[in-house]
Amino acid sequence: MISSHNPSLHAESNAISFRPGKGRSIAQHGELFQGQIEDENLQLRRCLMSLPCNAMYSEAAFTPDTSGTFVVTPSYKSKVKRAAELTREHLKLPRLGGTIKVESTIPEAKGYGSSTADCIAAARSIADSVGHTWAEEQLAQLVVKAEVASDNFMFSRAVLFAHREGVVLEDYAQNLPKLEVIGVDTSEDSYVDTLEHPPARYSWRQLQSFRTLTGALRRAIRLGDIRLLGRVATASAVINEDFLPKPRFREVMRTVENVDALGVAVAHSGTVLSVLFDPQDPELDRKSEQLSKGLRRLGVSDVRRFQT
Amino acid sequence: MFTSDTREIHSAILNLYRSRLVPVGGNVTAAVFPFMKIFPADFCLRRALAEQRIDSRSIIIETSSGNMALGLAIVSKLYGFSLTIVTDYACDGFLRRRIEDLGARVEMVPAPAAIGGYQQARLDRLNEIRAESEDHWWLNQYANPANPGSYGSFAAQLVEGVGHIDCLVGTVGSGGSLCGTAGFLRELFPEMTTVAVDTFGSVLFGQPEEPRKIRGMGNSILPANLDHSAIDEVHWVSAAEAYKAARTLHQKTSLFCGGTSGAAWMVARHWAIKNPRARVVCIFPDDGYRYTETIYNDEYLLGQRLWLPELPAAPRIVEHPLDAGQGWSCMQWGRRGYAEIVKPAEHAAAAR
Repeated sequence: MISSHNPSLHAESNAISFRPGKGRSIAQHGELFQGQIEDENLQLRRCLMSLPCNAMYSEAAFTPDTSGTFVVTPSYKSKVKRAAELTREHLKLPRLGGTIKVESTIPEAKGYGSSTADCIAAARSIADSVGHTWAEEQLAQLVVKAEVASDNFMFSRAVLFAHREGVVLEDYAQNLPKLEVIGVDTSEDSYVDTLEHPPARYSWRQLQSFRTLTGALRRAIRLGDIRLLGRVATASAVINEDFLPKPRFREVMRTVENVDALGVAVAHSGTVLSVLFDPQDPELDRKSEQLSKGLRRLGVSDVRRFQT
Repeated sequence: MFTSDTREIHSAILNLYRSRLVPVGGNVTAAVFPFMKIFPADFCLRRALAEQRIDSRSIIIETSSGNMALGLAIVSKLYGFSLTIVTDYACDGFLRRRIEDLGARVEMVPAPAAIGGYQQARLDRLNEIRAESEDHWWLNQYANPANPGSYGSFAAQLVEGVGHIDCLVGTVGSGGSLCGTAGFLRELFPEMTTVAVDTFGSVLFGQPEEPRKIRGMGNSILPANLDHSAIDEVHWVSAAEAYKAARTLHQKTSLFCGGTSGAAWMVARHWAIKNPRARVVCIFPDDGYRYTETIYNDEYLLGQRLWLPELPAAPRIVEHPLDAGQGWSCMQWGRRGYAEIVKPAEHAAAAR
């Protein structure tokens, strides 16, 4: 697990080789799906699928020492410290410490997964310092432990992720199809605390809907059917609107329907919303302009445009 | 109530009855169930257990003359529940023997009620039996929301296998399978056309009540589980037409199905020809083994005056339920409520 070129960090050794490490993580722009499904043991699991967004990122720079403690800047990022400690445990290097400097372009408490991104970047920077490469599943487990519930954009492939247990419920073994995304913030002056926000209490009927939606998700990813993927995201957004209503959701949805987008993905703990388009759509620029206009009329501004 | 062992057996048995998706020509895919009703029966019991409406002492009771009775008999056996079925003469010998073999009590009502026919007579008897003991729990497939609510996994199978669905065609008895499946699919495809297949003499879509020759579609009472505002188009198909359709389906594709499947297929095929670019799904609720001596027996059909030389090519288009008759008829329902179309006064006049 530990690379051979750097054995000096082991507990039994006193010598330390200082090799700074770097780590990086993208963000997300809401989730394509969030719900609750039965796992193979018929246990209900809360799960989600992130809509990855590479237009924002968190970067961590790690400078190792043998102090056995981690100093994080900015210091309020307490989950990062926890992630660093868990990384040390995983690497079996009890004397490892150091400073972790996190620089992020991801706004917090909006649904962009900023703290997940910070934890991923930090864990990657420490692993980089000792020449370790994370298996995505293990990194996912670690981030969930560090922050109770996490998003799943540490995976490069499409997965349905149990974000409280840190396990993959469905592995689609292929990448998400490409989407063009126009991201908006439905409420620029409100924020959602992920941990304080109570988990959705889905009705039995909604749980049955999630069966249909995950069936659709399987096909959408297998065949790269972005039209169907957009429908799944919208249906998931509508169900979850019962639990974390977005300001002006109906009006935004009507505007989205008018421009003939594929669908919307909302942040299930946050206020951001993504309007999904086909990157190959020849009408894309016209639609995007029409959408911006419609949203401005509602007092909602589009914040960014990116491709997954 | 479940050990892991019985759970495994239970899900394996249920798996035997799951539908298979079969392309039946052109742009039509059939969801072919060996026996559909086991799924709503199972789900209703699971919901009742989860909501603690029933426990191991409970006696499940239901009125049915057809597949719901057998579906319940199977799952009641799997869960270990006692079961009472209130039925009438239409519950044929094969069905009755199988239900009794599974340990259920079968109560026959001798005669139809003055209003509401056999269905009302069965309800009256059911209420008498329920009064005998508090341990009875009435599943009530006509109003239990778990009946339509049981079709989420089926909808998942359809969308995973077919993708974007433009039109769903199914027969209506309780409204559970068609309205349930359409409800789940429309969360993804709100614009999907839902086509209901009914039969003459059924009150479901505003025909005056009359004795009916075909079971499994149509009803003498209006079930709460039929959501009229979910229906775009209604077809009325006679027993003879449904049977001929089932035979034609068998002759063309080798699919061996009941009469309701035949009716659904005939309507789906017609709709698909009119909409050649649309992706159409139709529901086949049961296989043909129960009907070897009836639908699949020319002598029986001739004797009952249910033999048709040829399948009708297209329905008669009508503007109102009271205009439907003399064979396959079709009306644009337009997602309207029952009361928007069926006026009691016209109805009473038609019944006279």
